[in-house]
Amino acid sequence: MRLLLKGVVASRGEGAGDWSVLADGIFSEGIHLVSGDVGSGKTTLAQVLAGLLVPASGTVARDGILSVMLSFQFPEYQVTGLTIREECESWGVDSGEVLSATRLTGKEAFSPLRLSRGELKRLHLACLLSHTYDLLILDEPFSSLDCSEKERVCRQLSERKTGITILFTHEQQTFPRVDYIWEIVNGRLVCRGRVPDALPLWQHAPELVRNLLAAGKCPKNIAPGDLVEAACRM
Amino acid sequence: MQDVRLRTGVAVLLSLTAFFSLFGAIAAGCWCLVFARHLSLEKHGRLFLALALFVGFFAVVLSVSGGDGLSYFIRMMAIILIGVWVYSEQKKGEFLRLGVWLFGKKVGFELGLVADMAMQAMDLLVADFHAIRLAEKLKQRPMSANRIVSMGIVLVNNALRRADDTAELLAVRGYRNGGSLCPGFETTRLDIIASLLAGGIALLVILHASEFFILYR
Repeated sequence: MRLLLKGVVASRGEGAGDWSVLADGIFSEGIHLVSGDVGSGKTTLAQVLAGLLVPASGTVARDGILSVMLSFQFPEYQVTGLTIREECESWGVDSGEVLSATRLTGKEAFSPLRLSRGELKRLHLACLLSHTYDLLILDEPFSSLDCSEKERVCRQLSERKTGITILFTHEQQTFPRVDYIWEIVNGRLVCRGRVPDALPLWQHAPELVRNLLAAGKCPKNIAPGDLVEAACRM
Repeated sequence: MQDVRLRTGVAVLLSLTAFFSLFGAIAAGCWCLVFARHLSLEKHGRLFLALALFVGFFAVVLSVSGGDGLSYFIRMMAIILIGVWVYSEQKKGEFLRLGVWLFGKKVGFELGLVADMAMQAMDLLVADFHAIRLAEKLKQRPMSANRIVSMGIVLVNNALRRADDTAELLAVRGYRNGGSLCPGFETTRLDIIASLLAGGIALLVILHASEFFILYR
């Protein structure tokens, strides 16, 4: 299972102030983290990879990928149910289980839009992660979530054993265990390689990771447990 | 057309002309083809088509019930064409300048600010609609009344949330009413020629209508 990008240019507009991202590379099975500054083109590239936008040039080829899902940064766009129960059903999941996992039990009859953005994001991710997609793309999955919820989502993501998972984020604190690190630098998607070898090359690395590397303690991965283990290493 | 004062005036004049006479509608359409340089039906094609279908439906109903559906359709489409042209040429802050120029720093500023914010809301509404369509495509949900209702609810909810945010922001920044602005406008020779021709079309329609009333008196 692979997602192949060949000379892909994802762009927005043609006037001054508009931008484009050039992407070349292969996403194989595993968890890929794509980091980049705000406004670097992560959302547009995510939509191109999901097949929702046509690239300005180049090709996106899917090898062995049968099911695709993209989680939008703003979960309200993906709401199709008039009640929370209907919303769960629209994802084909049991509302009881999802609501209990997201601490929303008792709100089945509420409109999803009555929830706060954090609650809605929690519900959205719980519904989405109940499925196994061959290609799962998450655009800023941690936005609007509190720390404990971020850690819960990270644990769930780390448990994904099959398929390609691509996380587009500028998060600097909480990460799942990832296999590959990519970043958008100067309008270009660059693969930094497998973790942990990729960590010293990672320009958008969080301060904690940079400090650990400077102290000669290279973490095995970037999940909170790995960082703690590296920090406590003698 | 560079000058928002002339553009708005021409749009009002041609819309009224198109509404009151079939000749005016055809003439307004021809005017748009010649002078509406930034009118991009390719860019707003879907919106234009959706409106054409909407108006077409009512035109058919009118024809079936004994009215002149074709005339209604042509006149309404000319008005929509003018609306799309104004929307295509609109730049940020133009209505604010126009409002202040027309009605001064209090009422004019308020009206201009509201009009500019409405235009901005329209752009965001279009962006929201686009995002919802993409999300729907991913979910592969069949088209149903529920789906349309939920799309509408999301659009209205987002618009209201943004309006709330903007109102709070204005209040926090101490906005009460009115403000200082020295509006400046750029008028080209082509703006004047296009405006004079639009005025000529309106005059012809008025004269034509007067003759009509004299004949039937």
